[in-house]
Amino acid sequence: MSKPLHRPTLVVVIGILGFMLAVAFNTNTRLHGAQPDRASDLATVVHNMEAQRGDLEVRLADLRDQVAELEEVAASEQGIRDTFTNEIEAARLAAGLTGIEGPGVQVVLGDGSDVAPGTDPNLYLIHDSDIAAVVNALFVGGAEAIDVNGERVVATTPIRCAGTTVLVNAKRLGGPYTVSAVGNSDALYDAVISDPAAGLLFESYRAQFGLDVSVIKLSEVEVSAYRGSFRPTYAVQAEDGDA
Amino acid sequence: MLVLVLALALGVTLGLLTDIGVPPSMLTYAGVAVLAALDSCISGVRSSLEETFTDRAFVFGFITNTLMAGFIVFIGDRIGVKELYLAAVVAFGVRVFDNLGVVRSIMFRRRGWE
Repeated sequence: MSKPLHRPTLVVVIGILGFMLAVAFNTNTRLHGAQPDRASDLATVVHNMEAQRGDLEVRLADLRDQVAELEEVAASEQGIRDTFTNEIEAARLAAGLTGIEGPGVQVVLGDGSDVAPGTDPNLYLIHDSDIAAVVNALFVGGAEAIDVNGERVVATTPIRCAGTTVLVNAKRLGGPYTVSAVGNSDALYDAVISDPAAGLLFESYRAQFGLDVSVIKLSEVEVSAYRGSFRPTYAVQAEDGDA
Repeated sequence: MLVLVLALALGVTLGLLTDIGVPPSMLTYAGVAVLAALDSCISGVRSSLEETFTDRAFVFGFITNTLMAGFIVFIGDRIGVKELYLAAVVAFGVRVFDNLGVVRSIMFRRRGWE
């Protein structure tokens, strides 16, 4: 222990150095002391999130059960909807709003070619009444769907004369007219041939005026869908529905 | 020598008991200042042993060292060279060990260990 080291300033300043060391140490300790806190914070966060996950898993299970229940309900509703869809489809089919294919007959009605001199040319032509007769005969034979040159014959379809053309569904058609009908082809054929009005076309008239007419049985006939509108002005559904 | 160690221990104890700290952002300042103070004290011990010690030079050196160290850290922060404090750390560290070597050799000589 040598004497010069006992200088008061040196002692005091070294004391200050010690104090400063402690201050730095304190600060550092606090800084690092904070880290375990942060770590424990993170641990808390993790624990909370795990708890949340547990809750969410329970909720997920609940929701899955609900989904299963709803799927069952939906399945039964699907049944109801299917029923409605089927009814609508049937209604559309009956209303003529769908294209039809099936066995049936095709009736071709063409004007006669050689008009004999001095005779009425009208006799050599196919008239709206002829087409109407054929259509009616086909319905008699049980036709389920009929079109004329692609114009579907529905409940409100008029067939009328318009000069040299025929209007079907307000559509102007020119000959030759092809009437397609789906149904029992034999029954349809017989109905057309034996019809009092239509039958004449294929026998005496054809022979007499050279009409280009024919009835063919087909295993596959296509009938177009009704493309027109349907806007009843006076027709209102009866109050008791089916009246 | 024992007095100095006791003074150091007293200062540390006092500091720990009062539990005074600086804001975390000032930790670098505190550390470099401590290093500067340590350097001053070691050089003070050395100059004492070499009989060149003067109170004024010692206290002045202590204060300027500490302030300059803090200033260097501050400048480093300001000009975006945060590592500038390393300059102070290295400089003071080298000086600490230099002075420590001198102190050691002087004391060894005095005690006749060499």
